[in-house]
This record gives sequence, structure tokens and C-alpha cells, in this order.
Amino acid sequence: MDALNPSSSGASLFLANLPSRGLFSSTVVSSNPGGMRVYVCDHDTSPPEGQHIKTNQQNILIRSLTLKKQRGDSSSKDGSDGSRKRNAEKGLERASAKKTNNQINSRQEGSNSQTTTRDFHNLTVERLRALLKSKGLSTKGKKEELITRLKDATG
Amino acid sequence: MTIWNYVVTAHKPTNVTHSCVGNFTSPQDLNLIIAKCTRIEIHLLSPQGLQPMLDVPIYGRIATLELFRPHGEAQDYLFIATERYKFCVLQWDSETGELVTRAMGDVSDRIGRPTDNGQIGIIDPDCRLIGLHLYDGLFKVIPFDNKGQLKEAFNIRLEELQVLDIKFLYGCSKPTIVVLYQDNKDARHVKTYEVALKDKDFVEGPWSQNNLDNGADLLIPVPPPLCGVLIIGEETIVYCSANAFKAIPIRPSITKAYGRVDPDGSRYLLGDHTGLVSLLVIIHEKEKVTGLKIEPLGETSIASTISYLDNAFVYVGSSYGDSQLIKLNLQPDAKGSYVEVLERYVNLGPIVDFCVVDLERQGQGQVVTCSGAYKDGSLRVVRNGIGINEQASVELQGIKGMWSLRSSTDDPFDTFLVVSFISETRILAMNLEDELEETEIEGFCSQVQTLFCHDAVHNQLVQVTSSSVRLVSSTTRDLRNEWHAPSGYSVNVATANATQTISVRIFSLPGSESHHKGTIRNNRREIILSSCAFEGISYLLCALGDGHLLNFMLNTSTGELTDRKKVSLGTQPITLRTFSSKNTTHVFAASDRPTVIYSSNKKLLYSNVNLKEVSHMCPFNSAAFPDSLAIAKEGELTIGTIDDIQKLHIRSIPLGEHARRICHQEQSRTFAICSLKYNPASGEDSEMHFVRLLDDQTFEFISTYSLDTYEYGCFIISCSFSDDNNVYYCVGTAYVLPEEMEPTKGRILVFAVEDGKLQLIAEKETKGAVYCLNAFNGKLLAAVGQKIQLYKWVLRDDGTHELQSECGHHGHILALYVQTRGDFIVVGDLMKSISLLIYKHEEGAIEERARDYNANWMSAVEIVDDDIYLGAENSFNLFTVRKNSEGATDEERGRLEVVGEYHLGEFVNRFRHGSLVMRLPDSDVGQIPTVIFGTINGVIGVIASLPHEQYVFLEKLQSNLRKVIKGVGGLSHEQWRSFNNEKKTVEARNFLDGDLIESFLDLNRSKMDEISKALDVSVEELCKRVEELTRLH
Repeated sequence: MDALNPSSSGASLFLANLPSRGLFSSTVVSSNPGGMRVYVCDHDTSPPEGQHIKTNQQNILIRSLTLKKQRGDSSSKDGSDGSRKRNAEKGLERASAKKTNNQINSRQEGSNSQTTTRDFHNLTVERLRALLKSKGLSTKGKKEELITRLKDATG
Repeated sequence: MTIWNYVVTAHKPTNVTHSCVGNFTSPQDLNLIIAKCTRIEIHLLSPQGLQPMLDVPIYGRIATLELFRPHGEAQDYLFIATERYKFCVLQWDSETGELVTRAMGDVSDRIGRPTDNGQIGIIDPDCRLIGLHLYDGLFKVIPFDNKGQLKEAFNIRLEELQVLDIKFLYGCSKPTIVVLYQDNKDARHVKTYEVALKDKDFVEGPWSQNNLDNGADLLIPVPPPLCGVLIIGEETIVYCSANAFKAIPIRPSITKAYGRVDPDGSRYLLGDHTGLVSLLVIIHEKEKVTGLKIEPLGETSIASTISYLDNAFVYVGSSYGDSQLIKLNLQPDAKGSYVEVLERYVNLGPIVDFCVVDLERQGQGQVVTCSGAYKDGSLRVVRNGIGINEQASVELQGIKGMWSLRSSTDDPFDTFLVVSFISETRILAMNLEDELEETEIEGFCSQVQTLFCHDAVHNQLVQVTSSSVRLVSSTTRDLRNEWHAPSGYSVNVATANATQTISVRIFSLPGSESHHKGTIRNNRREIILSSCAFEGISYLLCALGDGHLLNFMLNTSTGELTDRKKVSLGTQPITLRTFSSKNTTHVFAASDRPTVIYSSNKKLLYSNVNLKEVSHMCPFNSAAFPDSLAIAKEGELTIGTIDDIQKLHIRSIPLGEHARRICHQEQSRTFAICSLKYNPASGEDSEMHFVRLLDDQTFEFISTYSLDTYEYGCFIISCSFSDDNNVYYCVGTAYVLPEEMEPTKGRILVFAVEDGKLQLIAEKETKGAVYCLNAFNGKLLAAVGQKIQLYKWVLRDDGTHELQSECGHHGHILALYVQTRGDFIVVGDLMKSISLLIYKHEEGAIEERARDYNANWMSAVEIVDDDIYLGAENSFNLFTVRKNSEGATDEERGRLEVVGEYHLGEFVNRFRHGSLVMRLPDSDVGQIPTVIFGTINGVIGVIASLPHEQYVFLEKLQSNLRKVIKGVGGLSHEQWRSFNNEKKTVEARNFLDGDLIESFLDLNRSKMDEISKALDVSVEELCKRVEELTRLH
């Protein structure tokens, strides 16, 4: 192979100053591959708490769609701040909503929450509490009290 | 045989797939970590070289191995991902010397097509996330939080479907990957993406580059200050970053591995497919890249990984040949190479084929493998035990004893060898020409048998005969003093040491025995005691006259003997002698089955020696033969050196070409191989295929038959035919034409060995590749493409022979592997698992009897017994099927029932009946039938069929061991051994993991007690039963 016979001492030029930390410095470098201890692991090897990693099961397509939707929303509306807030709200709603409450309904509510103040009576106590919590208000009391508190807050 | 199998590794994997260097075992230590498929090895770099630390079994096939440094840590963590979608992060706890699991998890997805180009696992240089590319179109991210803890993983859709490589870029404010991919027009491009952790999505990256070299398939990220990436192609190398693009042409080559030399990333080592190592230099002015330069350095094994260690030393890991430790010299040697190979680490992989032979006719099998590939192809002779390499030998009859003596007390070497016969004593000495010649020591009494000799202080020698003890000067060789035994008494046994008062003790045998009378019985003829210390533990070895050896642990302070164990080494009386090799003491037991007794992992091991019968041995360390042994065997005195003391001894025969099939012929004492030689110099596709004949002692090529162009040797057997006394080599071939998907033409060649030459006796053309040949009822059974074909050997009128087709059987996708037994034929199909055929003599026809209806893609089959067949398939599983002769309906009888399943984690290329160890008739394991297998990673393993009672017992032991011996990184043994392929995953059954079971012996006493309690069997009994199993391999 002609490639092995460089006409000039080309490689020597570049082989100077190879990194060294003082290892492999002995004149007799030898190793003994035979004498390797086999590891027998007799201690507990389960990972520390919270470090048993799983994959987020949300469908990748749905996630990218919601992401797109959010982006679309935030570009059509004024501030991204608002969209994020709404998002949090939506998450809360979803968490608290029972299965009987269908999601389309709740999403509609979420998207025009400003206009639904007069319809508070149609909502369940649970939903009202969630709304109050999202506004950082107390969630205690009867349904009527909750509604007035909400109404006060939304003014 | 039975359906209850015990699978154990005799030779561990040696194929090096990954390696990395970092501070793993402590912030100050620099470690080399090597992955060998299912094991990792941790080495420490020291001024003296590589120091092995630990060999760690991993319950998985390692897909990626990376060291990384989480924020705020002083030492590196090790990230391992396995092919079955498990990952773990390991940390070394230097206080306990244990591997601690920092995190682990399952990264599999329910849907997704596994990537074609292998799994990719990468870690962001700023340690913000781990990236995994496991399925086409998906990129999995495991983010780190700011405390270095891992968080929930998520997938990101990756538009590029044919990904060749992905790497993280250095010096980016947001984690950025660079993707090398191929589009649907087969053009190759790179693209960058930023990983937006909050949105769990990609953001278009800072740059991209289209239409690269068509062979580009490796990315090397360049660290700061230069940053950017190197794209390695087959004809060009490109440096690419946001603001620079530099390219250089290179000699056409496929780069298999790279290693970074400088921390600033200005120099890299590249290893190509021919084993050439080059230096790639990024030429730069400050932070501006001005050009690239590539310089060839020299040849190594074909690299699969390159790790720069320190001070110009480089580790080259290989899948196709031995791994190496090399040094880069500043000046080239005579051949123009800058590479100096300092050490080779044996690699048997890939074992493409092997055969089991008994070359020394000792009654012990040896495995001869076709190992390695391309230029690194070789044959390896693997035997259990230790080899003596003969240096010199003299004919001498009737040796009764031997001792080596020095000419002066401070001479480091031995000069004299005293050889005692029944009525005389002769002295051999090294002369000035370093030859052994007879000499005289005047002071010695040479007319009688010598009982003992030793060096004494002040340049003196001691000779003990039955009547006297003599003290002789070693310089003048004159008698200094003599002590006569009282008349009527004679000296029977003597020993001495070199202390000033020469102590000669006279034993009468019963006296020495009375010390331990309670424990030693059965001493029919002679006892020889020898006490020695191995690895700090003292033992008393006691050889009995009937070939048995007892060993005890000896408490040196109380003289108490414990842990009595008895092994049988042979049938003749044993004499014991200690010797040292590489500063460790071993014991040589001379008998009809000579054995070396040594200690490893604080266990006594017995390795037989490749000699037939040895009556006496003495260490003889002369200047000409350093570290040698003098060995007296039948009529001969031999001086030889001893191999490294280890269990398996491997002899390498480099071929310089790739051997694919091997077979041995007892009658002609030859091997025949099918091999191919690549000729990279003369362009593409220039392969030459040969049938070669080798002497079975010297392994030299003695005859070669070149096959036609495009003709591949596919199979070779040695066989004979009915009505013909000759033995032939039959070779099956295929014409592999570039335009054909599957060969449509092949040949069967019949060779005789005449005067050490291959003589072509007959040939027969076939309509397809001849994948397999078997001697079958005095005929030849061939697997030709989709068909099984039987040929008879016919004598023609002119006295020549020819192969004549008799009958056949259709209905296979491709009949790749065929085994026969009696009239039964077992076929391993490309993708239709195992089927059973039968040859009907009267009708002269082959019919299908039964089949396994699973869709297993086979890689090897073997007939275990009349009813049970063993198969290996391409997802690294083993399984057994059973013929169902008692089935009530035809349908039931026509179905091979799957009776055993097991994930081996190794790709098996070949099964053969046989054993690596001497089968002693009186040991229990002597009766257990075994099958040997060889794999791509260089594993040689043994499958033993156990009696049911033993299987049940060991299964219980295994399930208890699982509770005590944990999988490193929290990986589960149960899951690892479960049968797994694309179609199904089921728990392992009727197979036991011998490697796990035998690690019982490495446990500490309290863990042993724990298991003993759970099983309600004493620890001693457990040890005994497991130790017995270790004698299977």
C-alpha cells in the first residue's frame, strides 16, 4: 500500500505532543488480562426513588397537535401569557372533571371563560372550586357563596 | 438425553463492541471501559500499563455505552443501554467497590419500527439530556433536572426516517443534535435540531448541509473551541459548522471507528475496514478552522472501537480479530508504520464454524474454530487445560526422580539437573553452548538411586540416598560431609531446605499419617503430602496411590484440617511438586493424567496438561530455558515452558484470510477449510475462494484447490460411501452472481487426499447453493437451495465414481442447516423453524414427518436425541422441540412440540456434539451428554442435558440465586433469559443459566448460608454439586 509510505515524514509532524498525564510512562508496559475478577453483584440494585424512568405515554401526534394549537392560539391572541394561563386552567379542569362531563364542553368553557360568568349556576360545585382555585381564591363555602366570590373576582 | 438443559459459558465473549475512557472508579483514576456484548470490563490506566479491575456481566446485549459527568460530580457515571430497550446509569462506589444504580428504566415503545442501522444512544456534552434513537422516526429524550437526576422520558417525532448517525453538538446554548440521514433518493444530508425541552419538540437548528458523500455514515462532534462536526465519508471528509465548511478527499475506505486524541478535538484516530489507522488533523488558527489533513499511520486489527489512553498508547477494540494495545511512534519503522502493537487480547469472534477433535488422542476434546474475518481470519485451537511447549528432549528410560540444583547459592538460575534411576544417579548440566549434557559431581554417589537433592547455603548441595546423606560443595563438587544411616535402617523419604543446619528428616510413612488418621482412609499404596499456600490460603494436598487427590484447608496456627474434598485425577499414583510461574505458586501433579492445581478467585482449580503420562516433574529455571519445567515421561526427559495458567488454552493460527467452514479427517490427519481471501488492492469484489488442506499438527497449508470466480465454498464434510473404502472430503459450493438474489447454481466436489494433495475425484452440478452436506446411510445428503437432495455414489464402467441423484424433498424456503440420525433428517429452515424428515428405504423417498409451525429464522440446529432437537434462531434465542410419536391424530404427530425456550443473547453459528473436558468414568458429570456451541461474539458454550432430579434441584437453586445475585443496573435476570423475538416474549423454560448457578461459588459465606437455608441443603452439599457442574467445561 503506497499510502503507508509517506514521501515526507508527514505523520511525524502531527504525532508530536500527544496528550500525556504520566500514565503508560514505565519503560516496560505490560498488562495481565487473565487476572480479572468477575463481579458478583449481591447488593440491591434497584434505582433510588424517582429514578425508575418511564416514557411519557402521551401520543406524539396529539402532543404535537395541541402544541400547534397553542401556538396558533397564542399568535391569534395578544399575549402568550394568557394562553399559558388558560392552559393551566384547562389542565385543572381536565383533572377534576368527571368522565360524565364531556371534554368538548369543558374546552368550550375554557376558551370563553370570560363570557360564562352568568352561567355559573349551571356548573357543579367541583368545577366552581377548580375555577376559584385557579384564581387563587378560597374554595370553602356553599355553592351560592362560591358563585358570588367568583362573580366578585371576575367583576 | 433429556429436555432439561443447562447452558454454560466455557469461553466468554471477546468481541469488543464499545470502549470509552474516563474517571469512573475515582476522580483521580483514569479507566478504560470495554464492552464485550454482554459483559463490561473495567481497567485502570497506570504508569505500568492497563490494570484489569473488574469483569461485569450485564443482563442484556449492550447497545450503547457512554461515560458522562453530571453537574457537580467529581467522577464519571456510566450509561448503558441494552438491545432489549433497557437502560441504566451506574456509579462506582469506591468505598464498597460496588456498582451502584443511579437510574434505570425501560425505553421501549409499544409501536415503532426498530431502526435498521442499530440503536443510537448519546449524551449532551453539557449533560442536559440523554438522546436515544431506537425506532425509525422517533427520538427519545431523557432530560436531566438541575440536580443531575433523570426525569420522565418523552419521544419527539423525527422527520428523517433513514438515520445513519446522530450526535450532540458542543458549545450550544440549547441542546442541539446533528442528524446524518439518507433521503428516499439515496442522497445523504445532515441537519441540526435544537431540542426544546419545555415543548417536548424539535426546533430547526442553526445549519444544515445537503448532498454529502454517498458513503457518509459517521459523525464526529468537535469540542470547543472549534465546535462543529466532522462528517466521515468513503471518499471525502468534511468539517462543517455554522460558519465553516472544509472538505478533503481521502483514499476510498470505510471508517469503522474513531477515537479523539486531544481534549480540544484537533486530532482524531480513524480505523478503516482494512485495519488501517489514520490520523485526522483539524488545522486551525485559533478558533478558525483552515483545513483538514489525514495521514495514514499503520495497520492494526480491523477496529470496532478506538480509545486514546495516554502517552501515545491507544486501545484498539476489534470484532474481527484480536483487540490490541498499540503505541504511536513519532518515527516510522522500516515498513513505514508509526504503529507498534504492544499487546494482543485474544478474540475468538466471530466463530463462523468449528469442529471438535482429539488431536493428541488423550480422550479430551479440543475445539478448532474458524475465527475472525477478512484479513484477521484465523484458526484457533481451544483446549481445556494447560499446554507445555517442548523446548528440548532427551531419551531416557526409567526415571525415578529429578531435582534441579544451582552451581552457587546466589546464582539466579539452575545449572544441574539430577536424574535418579533405580540403581544409578546421573547429573545433567547446562554447558557453555547452553546445551544440556551429562556431567559429574564427584561428591555425589552415582551408583545408587537418589532419594532427594537440594541446594544448601554456602554453595553446597545435599544428596540423600537410602544409606547416607551427603553434603557437597557446588563449586569444587567435592564431598564435604557425610552422614550414614544406622545399620539396619534405611532412609525411605527425605526432604530438606537450605537453612544453615541442614535438616534432614526421616519419615516412616505411618508416622506422618497418624497425624491425620481420622480423615485419610483408602491409602492403598502411597501418600504424598504437600502443603502450599495459594492466594493466602493454606492447603494440604494429599495424593493417594489410586489416582485420587484429597485437599484440605489447613489452619497454619492450629494445624487443623477442614473442608475435605476428593477429586480423581487419574488411575495411577500421583506425585506432587510445586513450581512457580509468573510469581505465583502452583502444584504439578504427575500421573497418568498430569494436572496443574492452581487457585483462582480463592478456589482451587484443576487443569489438565497436554501430556500423556508424566512420572516426575521438577522446575528447572536455567539461563537458556528460563521458567521451564523438566518433565519425565515414558522413556523421555523433556524441558518445556508452561502456558499462562488459565482454564482454557487458546492457540492462534493466523491465516490472513477468512475461514468459513472447517472439518477434520482422522484417516489423513488433516483439516480441510473453505476460505476466502479479500484483495482490496485490486478493486471491488475481488474475492478468491479456496478449499485448503492443512496438516492437523502443524496447521500448514499442504494443498489448495481454487474455486471458480464467483464460486463460494459453503460447506465441507469428511465422509465415506457404501461399497467404497476410501474417505473423501465433500465440498458444497454456490455461484454467487451479483445480479441474482439467490444462487441458482452450485457444485458438489468430492476430493480424496492422496500424498498430501487434494485430488478432485468427482463433481456434480446442482441447481442452487449447496448449504449443507451430510453423510447419510453410505450416501450423501445435500441441502440445495429450497430442496433436500440425496445422492448415491455410483461406480461407472470405467472404474470412476460419480454422484447420482436418488431422491429429494421440496417445500423449504431455504434449507440451511441439516442434521441426520439414522433415517431421520432434521432441517433448519431460513424462516420456517425446524422440520423433521424421514428417508424410506423401500420407496427410496424422503417424506416430511413433522414440523414446528413457529416462524423462527434459524441459525443452527442439532439433534439432541431421537426425539429432541435443538435450534438457535436469529434473535439470539435457543429452543428445543420434541417429536410427538404418541400423538393420537396425524395432526398431532405432524407437529413438533416446543419443549424448551431460552434467551441466550448470543448468535449461534454452529452446534456440535462433544466435550471440552476429559470424561473420567467415575465422576457423575462424565455421564452427562453435552453439545458445544460457537457464536459471533466468540463465545464457546456448553449445553448439557441433565437428569430430571438434578434439573429440579438446580432450578430451585437458580430461583434462589436470583434473589441474592442482582442484575447490575437493576436489570432483571428473569426478563433477560426470557425467550424474545419479534413475535413473542415468553418466560424461559427447561433451560437453566449455568453462569448464574456457578456464580454461587463466588458468593460469601453468609449469602451461601442464606441460600442453603432457603433450599434446606447444606452449603457443603451445594458447593459440591455446583463444583461438579463446573467440571462440564
